[in-house]
Amino acid sequence: MNAATLKAHALPALLAGVGRQPLSHRAILDELGHGGDPATALKILSLTGQALRFERPLPPPGFSIEAGITDIQDRRPILPDPMRRPLLRLLSGKRPSDDLALALAWAFNRCKIRPHPFDLPRLDAFVRAHAELLGRTAQHWAEQQKDTAAQPRGYFDADQIDETTWKNAPPARRARYIAEQRKQDPAAARTLVESVWTQESADARVRLLAAFESGLNSGDQLFLEGLLKDRAPRVRSLAQRFLARLSGRSGEHPALMACLERIRRSTAGLLKKRPVLALELPATLKEHEARGWIRETFAEVSCEELASALELTETEMIDAAEKDANLLLALAWMATQDGRLDLLEQLTAGPLADAWEQLSQCGVPDLAMMPFDQRQRWAAILIGPYGVKPPASYPAWSWLHRSLEGPAPEVLIDSVLRSPRWLGQLLDDNKFTAEWMELLAALCRSSHRARLRALIAPLDPPLTLTALTLLDILDSMEKAGHDERTTTAP
Amino acid sequence: MALSLENVEALAPDQASLDAARKLLKPAGWPALASNGAGLVWGECQGSGATPYRVVISESDAGYKCTCPSRKFPCKHSLALMWMRAEGRQTFADGPVPAWVNDWLSRRRGPASEAPAASSAKPKASIEATAQTVPEAESDPKAEARAAAARERNRLEREAAILNGLDDLDVWLTDQLDRGLAGFAAQSAQACRLITQRLVDAKASGLATRLESLPARLFSLPEAVRPSAALQELGVIYLLSAAYRRQEELPAELKADVRQAIGWSFTREALLAIPDAVRARGTWRVFAALSEVQVDRLRRLETWLWLEADEGTPRFAVLIDFVPVATGAASGGYSVGDRLEAELVFYPSARPLRAQIVRSLTGAQTCDAPLHLPDLSLDAAYRNYEEALREQPWLGVWPFSVRGAKVRRQGTQLFLCGSVQNAVPLALPLQPAQSSLAAPLLQLEQLDAVGLWDGYRFNLCWAQTELGRWVNG
Repeated sequence: MNAATLKAHALPALLAGVGRQPLSHRAILDELGHGGDPATALKILSLTGQALRFERPLPPPGFSIEAGITDIQDRRPILPDPMRRPLLRLLSGKRPSDDLALALAWAFNRCKIRPHPFDLPRLDAFVRAHAELLGRTAQHWAEQQKDTAAQPRGYFDADQIDETTWKNAPPARRARYIAEQRKQDPAAARTLVESVWTQESADARVRLLAAFESGLNSGDQLFLEGLLKDRAPRVRSLAQRFLARLSGRSGEHPALMACLERIRRSTAGLLKKRPVLALELPATLKEHEARGWIRETFAEVSCEELASALELTETEMIDAAEKDANLLLALAWMATQDGRLDLLEQLTAGPLADAWEQLSQCGVPDLAMMPFDQRQRWAAILIGPYGVKPPASYPAWSWLHRSLEGPAPEVLIDSVLRSPRWLGQLLDDNKFTAEWMELLAALCRSSHRARLRALIAPLDPPLTLTALTLLDILDSMEKAGHDERTTTAP
Repeated sequence: MALSLENVEALAPDQASLDAARKLLKPAGWPALASNGAGLVWGECQGSGATPYRVVISESDAGYKCTCPSRKFPCKHSLALMWMRAEGRQTFADGPVPAWVNDWLSRRRGPASEAPAASSAKPKASIEATAQTVPEAESDPKAEARAAAARERNRLEREAAILNGLDDLDVWLTDQLDRGLAGFAAQSAQACRLITQRLVDAKASGLATRLESLPARLFSLPEAVRPSAALQELGVIYLLSAAYRRQEELPAELKADVRQAIGWSFTREALLAIPDAVRARGTWRVFAALSEVQVDRLRRLETWLWLEADEGTPRFAVLIDFVPVATGAASGGYSVGDRLEAELVFYPSARPLRAQIVRSLTGAQTCDAPLHLPDLSLDAAYRNYEEALREQPWLGVWPFSVRGAKVRRQGTQLFLCGSVQNAVPLALPLQPAQSSLAAPLLQLEQLDAVGLWDGYRFNLCWAQTELGRWVNG
């Protein structure tokens, strides 16, 4: 009797039931007793089970082909080991705040660092949400986790892009690239866009077309006219707006017409008549909906277009609107979207000193087209009027963080560091939460981190633990990213 | 704010806790005592469990946390640490805050805004009262003899009860065989419940637990494998039953194995008193910390250790603790990667694996160094398993260390594979729960691994790769 005999003759009977299929094989029974004895059946059970335990597991007929490390070619350095555990604690513990996750994702992208590949499953939600900012390996992971049978594609994370690689970049980066190309050679940039136009999603088409704002010229007319039949209403509307601008006819710019319908013009002054502008909100609009309405209504109109339609210069337009808070807000929003920081500065220096808080209620602006320095200047203009008393409103700070996609200008944390009373007041009012601390840490530039750390370290550990860890991780990322660049630079 | 003895008295839940804490003030019971100089104090205290308890206190707000399963808050270990700190007689090493202390800090809610009103009915605990030690009762030879006789009588009664229970088990197994094992898994929950109760009554708790958890183990396997797995498991149960009846014919180690599998246990004192028990002293690394809730509402905490220096003693050891689920303790004292210097004593066994710490020579330190694994292929490691299975046919989980392995995938199932040069390369399926966590290992050409094989699935616990260390969980 051996294992093969047991498996061939005893196993079927044990599985089917010895009541139905008695154990009768002579070679087995000769050694273990007669078939009718219950003890014999139990011995056979035990021996057969043991024979099965010694069977080695069979390998599957074949294995999947996997992309190896060398195939993915992620050249970003990995987050330093000592920071892996703190990162996991921040992102996979209790639900991390959105600002915390965004700060980390932007820092990964800014410093060109990537999470450790072994941590990707533990950071799954974070990786899926921000894959484009975390490097090729993370993109590969996120792609694999998708349920849809998506076509395999290359993972793009180059430092520099050119006309051969730009179409693989994330949408915001592609739009920025086209805008830059439009400044140098509008026709060549248009040709690039035309070559990919039909394969793009509606969102991507809107972004790419918006980049035509810079360097708009008559050579674009044919392409824009073709877009009037685009299947996305937003593309049609934007194309119409550009065409109207090219022909100098505001009547063909429905968004501008909608704005003008709501602006009442009058005059004031006894000796010298000066224009006065007022914005009439729809009567059915509730108070809390006003900011959203202003954003939507003025989103597709530039300051230049509006001023031209009102037959005023842009400066005159701002002066004329100084008594109307809603119109001032609309102008601040337009100036932000247009990148007209001179106009925004005029607004904050004059009638709209609290533009930061006002704008924060309109939603996060898309500043993707603004270079880093310009974005920082934009924020400095908003922060400037507050001096050492920044607003004690968490949503306003969070809005600034999301708009900048990174640290704020030094002046902001300077103001916090120079006014401990401001911090003390928040603590006294019990407004200061761990999320506030995280936001302060996220907005703090590396030059001020040591001072911020010293300021908050004495506070209650539950309040500051996450913020202090975030500061450590950001420091470490910047150091590793910087080190890597200096060591690999030619 | 520094702690005072008055604070300790005020925090103590009762006089008994303070009395118990006083007994823990000896430095020998604390292999590690440290503070960060800013109000955080932590230490490790060897209690009655297999792993030492980890205690941390925050001096600023008298916060505390201990990994023991006590339902008193603070427990005697926390009180003892506060007491030692308040007295100031012990030396607390200065050191960086360990990760487990940071974990506690990140989870704690902070001090309550108002201290709970002291119950007027609660008698005040006093440190002074603990000094009035009750003199130990003088030993009475007659009473001791009576107690020993009672213990022997109880033992014989239990032996008889177990044998009766095993007879019933045989009848039950015969019934299952009559019906056939092809459909056993489907009705296993109902079928196992009755016999489990009978074995609990017969005081064969080990066998009862094995049978009680059988349905869950079967359902964790693919449907096609379940009949074969049921046959193997019931075969092992009968084998244990038969071996117990003939235990006097077995070698001493195998007999000890059988008795433990049936339900006989060792107290820590009894284990330490075994003169020829296998002992191993050296530097141990924690490569897995597992936690599983059993059907009997006890949480089984396993801490798997690897001995760094090969001196002919067992390289693997497991410390097992059981804590009631209701205490909320979800993990043992050690974390994966910890390194500790300790002497271990192994439970008697043909293949010693389960152990207790005799004494810790140092506290556990977080360590990033790799494990120095022997040059063992997957095939050779599997042969070791087969050898162990031959010696101990009821073997459950067996630890593997492997060099030069690779993780591969078929569908969603991951496999740990050996060298492709073998004629029939070995491929051990990983636990399904690891399909996501271990997925990044698919990109690597080669890795060294440590894990646990249960005959059906490999639980990959630790891998050393070109990208650094990967650990499960």
